Amino acid sequence: MLVYTIKRFFEMIIVFFLFLIISYLLFNAIPGNAFSSLLLNPLLPPETYQRTIETFGLDKPLFERIQLYIINFFKGDFGYSYIYYPRTPIELIAERLPRTLMLFSIVNVIAFYTGFLVGKILAWRRGSKSETWITIGSVFSYTVFYPWFALMMLWFFGYKMGWFPLGKFLVPEKWYDSPYSSDEIFYTLILFTTVTSVFLFLIFIFTRNIESLQSRRNSRFVGLIILFIISAIYWSNGEASLQRFYAADIAYHMILPTFTVTLVAFAGTALLTRTTMMEVLKDDYILTARAKGLSQKRIRDRHAARTALLPVVTSFIFTIITIIDGSVLTESIFSWPGMGQLILEAVTREDIPLAMASFSFIGILALIAHFIADISYAFLDPRIRVKVEN
Amino acid sequence: MSKILLEVKNLSMHYDTLEGNVEAVKNVSFNVNSGESFGLVGESGCGKTSVAMTLLQLQPENSIITEGSIKLDGKELVGLSENDLRKVRWDSISIVFQGAMNAWNPVIKIGEQIREAMREHYPQNSKQENINKINELFRMVGLDESISERFPHELSGGMKQRAVIALALSCDPKIIIADEPTTALDVVIQDQILNEIKKVQNLLGLSLIYISHDIAVIAEMTDKIAVMYAGSIVEMGPTKNVFTSPKHSYTRALLDSTPSIKGEKKKLRSLDGEPPSLIDKIDGCSFAPRCPDREISCNPTEHMSLIEIEPDHYVDVCSQGKI
Amino acid sequence: MENNNQDRDIKATLKKNWILFKQSKLGMTGLGIVIFFGFLAVLQPILFLTNVWDEGVYHPVVGYDAEKVARTIVECPDQYPTKDYQTREDCPKVDEVNIRYLKAFNIDGDVGDIYESNVQPAPPSRKHILGTDSLGRDIFSQIMEGCQVAFVLGLISAIIGVGISTLLGTAAAFYGGALDTYLMRQSDLVLMLPSLPFLFIISAFAELQVWHLAVVLGTLGGLGGSVITIKSQALQVKVKPFVDSARITGGTRRRIMFSHILPNVAPLALLYMVFSVTGAIASESVLSFLGLLNIDMSWGIMIYLAQTEGFIFTGLKYWWLILPAGLSVTLLAGGFYLVGRGLDDVFNPRLRRR
Repeated sequence: MLVYTIKRFFEMIIVFFLFLIISYLLFNAIPGNAFSSLLLNPLLPPETYQRTIETFGLDKPLFERIQLYIINFFKGDFGYSYIYYPRTPIELIAERLPRTLMLFSIVNVIAFYTGFLVGKILAWRRGSKSETWITIGSVFSYTVFYPWFALMMLWFFGYKMGWFPLGKFLVPEKWYDSPYSSDEIFYTLILFTTVTSVFLFLIFIFTRNIESLQSRRNSRFVGLIILFIISAIYWSNGEASLQRFYAADIAYHMILPTFTVTLVAFAGTALLTRTTMMEVLKDDYILTARAKGLSQKRIRDRHAARTALLPVVTSFIFTIITIIDGSVLTESIFSWPGMGQLILEAVTREDIPLAMASFSFIGILALIAHFIADISYAFLDPRIRVKVEN
Repeated sequence: MSKILLEVKNLSMHYDTLEGNVEAVKNVSFNVNSGESFGLVGESGCGKTSVAMTLLQLQPENSIITEGSIKLDGKELVGLSENDLRKVRWDSISIVFQGAMNAWNPVIKIGEQIREAMREHYPQNSKQENINKINELFRMVGLDESISERFPHELSGGMKQRAVIALALSCDPKIIIADEPTTALDVVIQDQILNEIKKVQNLLGLSLIYISHDIAVIAEMTDKIAVMYAGSIVEMGPTKNVFTSPKHSYTRALLDSTPSIKGEKKKLRSLDGEPPSLIDKIDGCSFAPRCPDREISCNPTEHMSLIEIEPDHYVDVCSQGKI
Repeated sequence: MENNNQDRDIKATLKKNWILFKQSKLGMTGLGIVIFFGFLAVLQPILFLTNVWDEGVYHPVVGYDAEKVARTIVECPDQYPTKDYQTREDCPKVDEVNIRYLKAFNIDGDVGDIYESNVQPAPPSRKHILGTDSLGRDIFSQIMEGCQVAFVLGLISAIIGVGISTLLGTAAAFYGGALDTYLMRQSDLVLMLPSLPFLFIISAFAELQVWHLAVVLGTLGGLGGSVITIKSQALQVKVKPFVDSARITGGTRRRIMFSHILPNVAPLALLYMVFSVTGAIASESVLSFLGLLNIDMSWGIMIYLAQTEGFIFTGLKYWWLILPAGLSVTLLAGGFYLVGRGLDDVFNPRLRRR
């Protein structure tokens, strides 16, 4: 087991290394460089371009540059962004990442939950009329042309109905005399959301062992109410009461993107859940559960869905990597200044250090996601858990 | 005269498949008294398991019960709503399935899987009461108490099968269906499990419906048997009578094909041909094409129905003439 | 003789699968959608060749047709609401033109006169079933052109992708060892690349034609996650008894791989192929939508044009510029998805109902 893990670890490092090199070569292959536009400016003397190139080391041979980059990378030095000089890629990512993270973690949690719920219902109500319609809806949202759909949503809810803002993540007018920067508020929001979800999770875990179904439901309900009251108290006291106004502004701007992306993102999970769940429903222990006289809901949730969860979770974790992909489109349509826009900018303007840093960040994220997928597989399936323990 | 617990009357059921209708159960009637053990024997695919599933109303989606009634303790089960059936299942009638390997949900602990059935039927019980009862049941079937906290894959096949028996007993049913409970096990374990079932049945005074293709096991386990062929019962009666003086040619063929350790050596006979496909509706005697006594026998076009030839001993009408 | 039998077997299997497929209503719907769009794709060249459509008018890229429309000249009031108009947006109505607008272009006319002008984009009419775009090009013809692009791209990339992943996946399962490790890590690497930014880069150093994109998408898809899935399927086939018996009777490795393992992986591969068409169509549309492709016309480009020219936020007033293209992408991708699902029901007995 240990040998396998170590082997796997080294393979991962090699893969990451290759990933870095390939990315660098790709960026380098784009014709021109970040400073080509200087040549187009007739007012600048030609030496300026030459000197800028030298300053950023772009005149060195490709091999040397890659070598330097990788050495510096493992020293933790990512250089400076060309277009945002003198800021470093790390600073830029640290600024943009929370915004993307905030939006997409909420989207993913909601999308996963609703997707799983819908998939469960689809498999359970097989052959009914509602199944057909829900399937058609899910397939529509699974295959809908996303930018088009997002624009239509933006037009309808933002423009026609005027319910939501047309983009951006805050109203600048409100923030002129703000004592806080938007990043601070973002951190507060992220912290709040994380703590709340941890508590939600804890409530769920602790009530799991209550024997009677009735009192389990009741205690969960009470827990939810207490959590709600606590968060209300939090937002009306101390510093949070001052931040409330700004946090609300950001939250308001998040509603439409969240809703739109969730509508598109839930379908993948729903359709996959349906398939795996239908396979599980053919298993013998479902028959046992029915013979035991369990309620339909319990058979569905506890027996069928629990087993069907496994492949769904794994594939979900794999798709977390595609968040970045999705964020590129979403962020440019909703003018949400997050990672996606940063990458788009870095790639189109050939800001190699920034693009490399973003790409390697995604790469590390992907590797971690693969790792989590393995772990969660073991966590959810006792058959594998035992193998790992021994 | 003990009272009739389960009464099945003129039960017919078919499966709606792509190839056509498969008539799996044709006009089956039998009674099971309380405390009695009843055997259902026949070749693979003769409709034994279909009958078992119908008794619990657990038949697959594509099956249709065309006629007949199943009365458990005077209560009609056919056409009962899923919600009412839930109360009957496990509480009055429970089942030990063919493959115990797959009867357990792989991701839930054994004890929890038993407890959830008890929670459903005895909501007033505390967790400790349930645990105590499970421990008692485990002792009864010869299992260690620690099994409760294990996952199914950590158990051997025999242990799983014993646990399934404990599961079947957990809600004090009046009647247990054992659908080939020992097929997947080796002979030694098989024997232990059979003894366990018998012991428990006597101890608790349950009725038992034992389903098997193994005529030797049936002989050992049951008071009364029914022989099934191609979806119908061809002979039914007290086990002793049926074994000593089989009346139907199929029963005789079945007995002839089984070796016996005691008694005189005799040549084993096997039947030619295969059981008929159940897709096409068969008029008259479905056994006629394979019947060794065809020449001397009856009118094969005559419709099947059971005639009582001795007290409690019924035989298919087409064999009746030649005895 | 043996061949004849085999042919008959294949025919029987196909027939049985077709019967199973027909059971799935959604699968049949999907097939219907795909056939409908396929018909549209083929129809356009036929219309041009038989001269039913004049290329000068109906060509999706260079065609031009000025639709004349007579409008009444009105003067829009300064204050709203008035008797005729509720809000500022209501004036002028569809069959009216504001006199101030004409004056701005130095066109003479009085209130109440009829003013005849070209309308572009023109609303649907008998001549142009789906109207024209802002350059006077027929939308229906553009949709048909988009069909051709979608089919060519979707099918080519799916075939390339599935071809690669089937070969590599089977090889990884069959040979194992270093080859397996290499292929698995390679697909890890491909999975790590964020595909959209990657395609940006590709499009930056090569002007992408349709078939370039098809090759790129097919290769990316073929090297990525599907290798892993195909491999696991092939591993299941590899341990089946008939493979062992083929080995014992002295089949060469290559023969075993091609005549025993591949045919059994084929259904899954076919399934993947159909599903990956969905992805390819979506990718193409996104890239055209972002203006990164070097092609003349496609559904993505139609939406790109509608958006850059500002028609999206006019909502449903110019619906023929927005809805047909967007819905075509969605419908065709959905159609392929549904066909895939129908096939899933055929090949996966555990999903079947009976």
